[in-house]
Amino acid sequence: MSQINRRQFIKALAAATSVSALSVPTLAHAKAKARVIVIGGGYGGATAAKYVKLLDAGIEVTLIEPNAVYTSCPLSNEVISGHRDIKTLQMGYDGLKKRGVNVLQDLVLGVDRAKKVVTTQGGKKLDYDALVMSPGIEFHYNTIEGYSESLIEEIPHAWKAGEQTLILKKQLMAMPDGGKFVIVVPKGPFRCPPGPYERASLAASYFKHSGKTKCKVIIMDANDSHSKKGLFNQAWKAMYGWEKDGLGGNGMIEWVKGAEGGKVIKLDAKTKTVSSDFVDLKADVLNIIPAHKAGKIAVATDLAKADGWCKVVPMTMASAEDENIYTIGDSCVAGEMALYGNPNANFDMPKSAHIAMTQAKVAAAAIVAKINGLPTPQPYYANTCYSIVGDDYGFSVAHQYRVVDGTFKYIKEGSGVSPMAMPDKSPVPPIYRKLEAEYADGWLRNVMADAFG
Amino acid sequence: MRNKLQMAFALSGLFFVAPVHAGDNIEGLARTCYGCHGTNGVSVGQSMPSIAGLSADYLKTVMMEWKSGARASANMTRLISGYTDEEIAGLATYFAKLPWTPVVQKASKDILAKGKEATERCESCHGATGGEPDDKDTPMLNGQWAKYLELELMKYRDEGFQMVHKKMIKNARKMEAGDIPTAAQYFGAQSK
Repeated sequence: MSQINRRQFIKALAAATSVSALSVPTLAHAKAKARVIVIGGGYGGATAAKYVKLLDAGIEVTLIEPNAVYTSCPLSNEVISGHRDIKTLQMGYDGLKKRGVNVLQDLVLGVDRAKKVVTTQGGKKLDYDALVMSPGIEFHYNTIEGYSESLIEEIPHAWKAGEQTLILKKQLMAMPDGGKFVIVVPKGPFRCPPGPYERASLAASYFKHSGKTKCKVIIMDANDSHSKKGLFNQAWKAMYGWEKDGLGGNGMIEWVKGAEGGKVIKLDAKTKTVSSDFVDLKADVLNIIPAHKAGKIAVATDLAKADGWCKVVPMTMASAEDENIYTIGDSCVAGEMALYGNPNANFDMPKSAHIAMTQAKVAAAAIVAKINGLPTPQPYYANTCYSIVGDDYGFSVAHQYRVVDGTFKYIKEGSGVSPMAMPDKSPVPPIYRKLEAEYADGWLRNVMADAFG
Repeated sequence: MRNKLQMAFALSGLFFVAPVHAGDNIEGLARTCYGCHGTNGVSVGQSMPSIAGLSADYLKTVMMEWKSGARASANMTRLISGYTDEEIAGLATYFAKLPWTPVVQKASKDILAKGKEATERCESCHGATGGEPDDKDTPMLNGQWAKYLELELMKYRDEGFQMVHKKMIKNARKMEAGDIPTAAQYFGAQSK
């Protein structure tokens, strides 16, 4: 049970996750050929742990995560609007345990990069040959005057799913007709780029169906454009009376861009009033999505540099700062920062569950190859992200990235958003939007199982 | 631009992959499909089809039809355009080699009886249970997700949705609207 040879490795790669071949547990007393530690049990971390184990059962894999249950952020907006039970978004770690991953419910306090040792709150010191850093994001509350973490029970962010999701739901359900629901969006990049606009859509859908038709959803955005903007505007027009950008429209949804007063700089928590340089807005239900950067542990270990995000080596997802640490998921920046409206931009990968999972699979394959002394496999990165905006109405964006000459290359031909119109300029038939609304749930079940199952 | 890109891929592929195994590339690419189609191509989401164990001919035909624009899809037409024809063939072969894994969904006796009747027109090509296709180009239906099959039938019946297979279009449009879910549930309930 020592080294698998090259032939076996190739077979393992080819069989990938063929359960019979690869779920054979390592002999209890066999010495692990190498140790891999994964920090963070979200979509990225869980996938990395699972795939390292699948590709080489002889490697000892330990996943460290403080929570016993993970709640999916994708589709959690449907919980807020009353369209979905939060239980359908929750997963434990038994699936990974069954695959032979050690799951440690603990919090990582520090990483000694020179000695390759991880220290936890529970007092454990664990050494590693390779470390996967997938801590997600850390909120920065200080970009808005008067705002702080102590306010999140009253003014939820609902940007890490779970209790926060339910708090926002409860507030919206209690909001009377004619009330104002204000969503504050931070300067990008942030996780789930279309998320705030999906949230606005589903809130409007809830208001419409519950007879609270005089309610307003106002999005105060620090940015001047947003993900899937054309598609959202088209849907808002069709379903929620949206007319144009800016405050004061007759529709249920209003969107204010940063340059025209959308950038919130001040909060009066008592009256739930947010202010920009242009306007003061009093909300009945206020949802502030704080600015965010790479998770605390990535910053503490000096992997996230000046701009607050982790830079990576495109072939492997290894940190640009440390070849033994792989920084994946929302805490990393891969590719150039996104510039909306620039068709030639070599887009940064969006911070999504799906991208985190393909990054995790690339990292897992690279780690297993390195441990076995084999060449790095060619990486592939992909994303599919659905947004639900109303009954039987969904759309998506797809992204593909490859690595050419050691740098990320956005594959424009294999990417893009759902159509706004058919090639002959006729409207998109409703069946397209219905199909994508249905696919979103199928996608969710499969990503959850692919990561945690 | 595209050719240059493909050349770069081919070269980097040769450099990194050829010494190990040419198939490694396709394996890595296939893993990006698991997000929607399930680990190993076996879906656990009702609206998403399992693709493991479908014939290489069928998979390749559908993907190439999406790429050429002959066949509509709400999202696959976009994704597939990022792959070379060789990669499409490679993916088809890769998933065809994995075992077909029916996910048997329970249905009442009544549904099964009505479904049997509603699917009589399907039998000559797909077999009585959907598990015995007459042709390499015909997909297995037994234990495929009923929800997905229902959505597929909806596509074939919708004049605004461009499908290719004439016989399927004709037959799907001849079906009674009420028979669509029943037929889908009938195939979803079959183990073989």
